Amino acid sequence: MDPATIVETASTLDCIHCGLCLRTCPTYRLTGIESAGPRGRIHLMRAVAEGELDAGADFAEEMNACLLCRHCESVCPSGIRMGAMMEFTRGGLEAGGGRPWWSRLARWAGFRVLLPSRRLLGLVAALLRLAQKTGAVRLAPLLLGRRGAAAPSLPAVPPASERVPLPARTAAVGEPRGRVSVLHGCVMPVLFGRVNRSTVRVLAAAGLEVRSPTRAGCCGSLHAHNGDLAAARALARKTIAAHEGITDLSGAMAPIVVNSAGCGSHMKEYGELLSDDAEWHERARSFAARVVDFSEHLAACPDEFLDAALAGRSAALAGPVVWDDPCHLCHGQGVRAQPRSLLDRIAGIERVELAESESCCGSAGIYSLLRPEASAAILDERLSALAASGARTLVTANPGCQLQWQTGVRRAGLDVEVLHLAEALDRALADGTPSAP
Amino acid sequence: MDAALLAALGAIVGDDGLIGDAVRRKPYECDGLTFHKRAPDLVLLPENTEQTVHCMRLLCEAGVPVVPRGAGTGLAGGATPLEGGVVVGTARMRRVLEVDVVDRFARVEAGLVNLDLSRACATHGLFYAPDPSSQMACTIGGNVANNSGGPHCFKYGATTRHILGLKIVTPEGEVLDLSEPEVDPTGYDLVGLFVGSEGMFGLATEITTRLVPLPEVTETLLAVFPSLEACCDSVTEIIAARLEPSAIEILDRMTIQAVEASVYAAGYPEQAEAVLLLESEGSAAEVGENVADMRAILVRHGVLEERRARDEHERARLWAGRKGAFGAMGRIAPDLYVADVVVPRTKLRELVLASTRIAHARGLTISNVFHAGDGNLHPNISYDRRDADEVERVLDAGREIMKLCVAAGGSLSGEHGIGLEKREEMELVFDPPSLERMLRVRSAWDRDGRMNPGKLIPVRVCMELRTPPPAPISKARG
Repeated sequence: MDPATIVETASTLDCIHCGLCLRTCPTYRLTGIESAGPRGRIHLMRAVAEGELDAGADFAEEMNACLLCRHCESVCPSGIRMGAMMEFTRGGLEAGGGRPWWSRLARWAGFRVLLPSRRLLGLVAALLRLAQKTGAVRLAPLLLGRRGAAAPSLPAVPPASERVPLPARTAAVGEPRGRVSVLHGCVMPVLFGRVNRSTVRVLAAAGLEVRSPTRAGCCGSLHAHNGDLAAARALARKTIAAHEGITDLSGAMAPIVVNSAGCGSHMKEYGELLSDDAEWHERARSFAARVVDFSEHLAACPDEFLDAALAGRSAALAGPVVWDDPCHLCHGQGVRAQPRSLLDRIAGIERVELAESESCCGSAGIYSLLRPEASAAILDERLSALAASGARTLVTANPGCQLQWQTGVRRAGLDVEVLHLAEALDRALADGTPSAP
Repeated sequence: MDAALLAALGAIVGDDGLIGDAVRRKPYECDGLTFHKRAPDLVLLPENTEQTVHCMRLLCEAGVPVVPRGAGTGLAGGATPLEGGVVVGTARMRRVLEVDVVDRFARVEAGLVNLDLSRACATHGLFYAPDPSSQMACTIGGNVANNSGGPHCFKYGATTRHILGLKIVTPEGEVLDLSEPEVDPTGYDLVGLFVGSEGMFGLATEITTRLVPLPEVTETLLAVFPSLEACCDSVTEIIAARLEPSAIEILDRMTIQAVEASVYAAGYPEQAEAVLLLESEGSAAEVGENVADMRAILVRHGVLEERRARDEHERARLWAGRKGAFGAMGRIAPDLYVADVVVPRTKLRELVLASTRIAHARGLTISNVFHAGDGNLHPNISYDRRDADEVERVLDAGREIMKLCVAAGGSLSGEHGIGLEKREEMELVFDPPSLERMLRVRSAWDRDGRMNPGKLIPVRVCMELRTPPPAPISKARG
């Protein structure tokens, strides 16, 4: 294999080997092994680029063990872009082959068939719910052996009434002062329809008219993180096209509000993803400039709208409340203060800080499915921090994190409710706004 | 490596603690000094003293070289396995074992990250004083090996002043338990001897450290200067006036620009030629007086602007910028040579300028960020290790700078240790009898010279001593 297809040599030269990243890396903390930390991974990439090392199975394993949480980016004085480097390397490794047939088949089915299709996702969700209700899901490990082991721990699928898509238009409460476009997502409508609806309700309560283009589905972030860059680009083009026509009240392009940190972080980088695509590069850049996280957009709303919207019921959240920074919000998008300031607006809230709240919970997209043991071990450290905080409510802003924490809280027997920021704010909405179904 | 030995070691540390494959061994080929690389034959990551003991016994029987490693943030090649052999890392030993709030000490495992120790005792109003710039990554064990310093060591002293006890696994795999806190060592001070031994005497697995009360008041000042010279001169005068700040750091223009482009941007003015970071600690009255006296000196030297950290957040930001400075130099070139010389503080200006001339004469890019209060200079030379000629020029410049500083009455290392980088220059500072005496001390700990071979003692001295010469005791310097 040509090393240049696997490693961007120039990026590896940014690392000066200082090691300040080590302590932040979840896999280094877990194993203590240099190659499981950012500095070691870059060292290996550079060794491949300079022809000192073969990009074989052992190398691929070290690259695939990274969570892509990008915590190292937040502490790297030299400005390493680990997320982009890792996506490039994984892309090169996947293109080079080397996976067994069943792994290729599973990836094709998951990335190319299932995630891009809303209809198929809906069907699978319905079947999974049936299997969960009847208990049939417990048979999977018996029928499929090790490959079916993860089936019983798949997230519980909510009833069909919760899996309905968002309306294409939702009116603002009162006189509209702006218009936004909201991303549906792929697994969000299936597993977290209630979060999507809370997102829309809160935005509407803050005086925004909400559009939700039904043509847009998966943004392709899971594809990019896992080395399927071709599919990631195809989904990016689709997502861009779907949101392109939506304008603000002034006629300018409307902001695209994203309530899933992983998707938002990825969509903000569409410009780089499509940088080699002459036709799409400019469109991708102007699209990316419109992408905002839910908390980012809401926190920028004028005070009077927020005060009016969030002056409602405070007792709906059990205190103390902690905010868990999703990696792709704090490290990927640099959004840290906004969610906290929004939570602090809720009347009577008792918010405390979660220790090391910027550390990954181990969910990391599909990492928890691919490497359940490592993922659970990484979560354990976070659960200790949660227990020590004394919190009764944990608020986060990414579907993967939300599922991971829910699973962990159950396993650890903690009395903590796990909510998305939009759900937490929805509960605090002032009377007079439409309430949850 | 012998299959039976591998199996026996694996049985001790388990699959997770033994790293044998070529890919995962490769990143252990160097530490923060990247121009000399050699991968170990094996890496072991024991989880406790007991596992370390069993590993060390087997390695002793097999006669294999052993290189201890903490976080690999060292800048002198101390963790590079020059002769191959086995790297024994402390990355899986990082518990805080005990914090004694009343007697003010902590007992920790060697792989604990420096910053985590201070965090663990902050709620008790205590902290661990030595604060190397890499403190968010480096380990207490590594600090012990190198007798590390840091900005606040100006006031509190380097690591050796803060180590009260050690549990050491000897090269033969015996436990030397000196972990009871000794405030005033009785008999030979073995703990004192071990601190700074650069992994050549054995491997410390548990460390008992002093804890210091957090100061009542801390004042942090950033002083902006129109020239590096004026900045240096004001430090010389602060020292001469016997003022007692807790830290005095200088950053030059290139360093400031690299830091300001990074996530550690601290608001240092990018057009300044140099900034001085000053901290004063103590009671409100002491600090007030101290700061007023220092400010008068700054004004005399033409300070352009002074900024005071208004709260903990601003203070943390000013320090984060300083501590991220080394890594930020990655923005200038792929590699950085960090010299670590000490000079008399009356000669700061002269030697900083001379170092700059030495680098420029060789066509090299140099920047300066240093612990001015201690006279501990870090002339930083940016380079690209792929350019063999440039590497040679960097090494040559490094040697020249060391020679110059030693000749001016300074020394080779403020805090990074000698390791591989400054090994040959030891002869500039020590005469043969002193070096021989060091070698004999080393032999007393490690008869076979198996621990971290090839470090600290110049190769020539080692060679000569392998055929033991008559060793008269003469007046030693050092």
